[in-house]
Amino acid sequence: MTARRGRGPTGPAPHEARARLSRRGFLQTALVGAGAVALGGAVSGCAGSASAGGGTTVRIWDLFSGADGERMQSMQAAATQAHPDVSIESVTLAWGSAYYTKLAMASSGGRPPEAAVMHMSRLAGYAPGGLLEPFDLDALAALGIREEHFAPAVWERATHDGQLFALPLDTHPFINFYSPEIAGAADLLDADGKFTAISSPDAFLDAGRAMAEVTGATGMAFGHLLDTAQAWRLFWGLYAQTGAGFELTPGRSAELDEQAAVEVVEFVQAMLDGTVAPPKQDYPGAIASFVTGRSGLIVSGEWELPAYQDAIPDVGGMPFPTLFGTPANYADSHAFVLPRQEFADPARRDATYRVLAEILTQGSLTWAGAGHIPAYQPVLDEPGYAELSPQKDYAAAGDVVVLDPPVWFAGAGSDFQARMCDAMSGALQGRTKATAAVEGMLREMDDFLATPNPA
Amino acid sequence: MTVSSIPRETRPQTGAPAAPRPRAGSTLRSRDRSGYLFVAPFAVAAALFLAWPTLSGLWTSLTNRSLTGSGNEFIGFANYAEAFSDPQVWQTLWQTAMFTVASTVPLVLVGLVMALLVQTGLPGQWLWRTSFFASYLLPVAVVTAIFAWAFQPDIGLFNTWLGNIGIAPVGWLTDEGVAMLSVALVTVWWTVGFNFLLYLAALQGIPSTLYEAATIDGAGGWRRLFSITLPQLRNVTGVVVVLQLLASVKVFDQIYLLTAGGPDGSTRSILEYIYDTGFTNYRLGYASAISYVFFAIILIFTLVRLLPTRKER
Repeated sequence: MTARRGRGPTGPAPHEARARLSRRGFLQTALVGAGAVALGGAVSGCAGSASAGGGTTVRIWDLFSGADGERMQSMQAAATQAHPDVSIESVTLAWGSAYYTKLAMASSGGRPPEAAVMHMSRLAGYAPGGLLEPFDLDALAALGIREEHFAPAVWERATHDGQLFALPLDTHPFINFYSPEIAGAADLLDADGKFTAISSPDAFLDAGRAMAEVTGATGMAFGHLLDTAQAWRLFWGLYAQTGAGFELTPGRSAELDEQAAVEVVEFVQAMLDGTVAPPKQDYPGAIASFVTGRSGLIVSGEWELPAYQDAIPDVGGMPFPTLFGTPANYADSHAFVLPRQEFADPARRDATYRVLAEILTQGSLTWAGAGHIPAYQPVLDEPGYAELSPQKDYAAAGDVVVLDPPVWFAGAGSDFQARMCDAMSGALQGRTKATAAVEGMLREMDDFLATPNPA
Repeated sequence: MTVSSIPRETRPQTGAPAAPRPRAGSTLRSRDRSGYLFVAPFAVAAALFLAWPTLSGLWTSLTNRSLTGSGNEFIGFANYAEAFSDPQVWQTLWQTAMFTVASTVPLVLVGLVMALLVQTGLPGQWLWRTSFFASYLLPVAVVTAIFAWAFQPDIGLFNTWLGNIGIAPVGWLTDEGVAMLSVALVTVWWTVGFNFLLYLAALQGIPSTLYEAATIDGAGGWRRLFSITLPQLRNVTGVVVVLQLLASVKVFDQIYLLTAGGPDGSTRSILEYIYDTGFTNYRLGYASAISYVFFAIILIFTLVRLLPTRKER
């Protein structure tokens, strides 16, 4: 029945057609049917002609829009210039859960693209289910990509059962950006003009209050309302800072250090008090507040850097301060994967390895410009990278990254993250207690752990 | 669904008057055959896109099939057992029912009032007609984009208005108690034009002699409204209400685009939950089972609704 959807959920358009089904209606429907058949032919014809064209075609799916998307396009263009026998057919889809729906469907259908971009946090749901092909390490080594070029934690996260399933492109941590002007006026900059080190929750809140006095509005911005990831990103990163562990084993009930979790949620509640940061702010609202100077610091993913730099050219960045003792920074990682194809073409596979290697080794600096920390570490030592500010100031966040728990239901764009955010939303808006939020999260985690893994 | 009603004039007219009957059955049979030929495209489309998905969905609901293609084993009624004990199913069903009430009532009443106002002689009828109907022509993505900004907590249109008259801002899409009503508000704005048009057409179909006679008998405007207009609109109201109920129980797009089911699941409709289960969490088998539970519930309501009408006849 879900397949039978009318024009709109409340648009009774189907009735219109039924009310007066005439000969004309019949002919129209017949025409539409014929059109659909013709269209199907056209689409498959299109794909055929593309591969018949110049050289080997490599299809790559990604989820990069905006500035990220432009940079990825230019990196791919550079890669095809270096390999003129290869042409890249790039498909950009919207970020979010729908991307992973499409990728999974394409893979299970056996005719996915040659390569796709994926969040490493989703790998646990993909690799064991046979949706991905492992990379051939020898082929990568021949192209100059080896294990020692990546941070050990990143490489380990990209492997499953001893095989490499993801070729990491970047790490994109969830950090703090600040306006040097406002932070300076609040006396929060050190001699080098960088944000002073903060090492306790109270110091963080004090800094927020000091900046609130300067801006006359709030000290910090954090958009979480109706967002399906932000609250979880903040919580999970800070929870890791407490040093507390977790036990998420499918079939068993979830174990968190509840005391530590409550402490973290209470800290976020204290932060969203209307002075340090507003209790009700959504994602675009937080960006608007920060770039217009109504707040001096924003808790944000580094992927928003280009938007901040447009408004505040000297915008500063730093890893998330260590507030609870253990350095840890929430992050995720974009990686290239090889979706499993039913009929893999060796020529295309070879071309895929070559362009991906080219993008990684030659394009990473371009990619860093968008704010991301390149996973391919030799780039970090290049002089070009040292000139990137504020990227170099928060690159250290890449050494202490915390990704989502490695379970099949977690990761970027997952329902799990959305449910966790839902469970916290009442507490973050000050309507319910932190303990209720933690209980809600544990209950949701139990539900997920009790659900059979569909992959 | 358009398949079900074959235009009356194309049906073979068996009771044709006095015309001489064809001598042999062959002509008739060939006419029959061409009839099937004309029906064939619809029949094929219905079989492919209605009958087959319905059956295959029913089968899927008895398996643990996932979107990733794995797990295609028959597991009996396990999915149904899970659905009946899943609080999310009942919660989202309840929320769907709430939305249906919160959207259907204003959609019918506002449509009626708008039609009455236009009919009772506002000048420039064409302008009102066009303006009231225009929003119905917008795609859902446009409607939700407009309202996402209007509902924006800090800089949105509505909270700015409220602020101007000294009322505290409302969390239109962020307050659990308000969000579903906001979705209903969007829906009313978007689709009320269709009901308005149905009502206006019905109003224009009421014979003016009725009003003339009533006026001569001394009936005033209100009297004419309650004794002539509203009774005459009874049939079209029945149609509008049924169409509206059907449209509202399958609400999905606005919610998916505006809130994705949040805050804290308070706007998650049953279709949104089915979508999340099947396409975000990859559990196609279980999602199919929930759809069939939903289907059964609608079926029961429809039958209950049909029974009294049968008796009336």
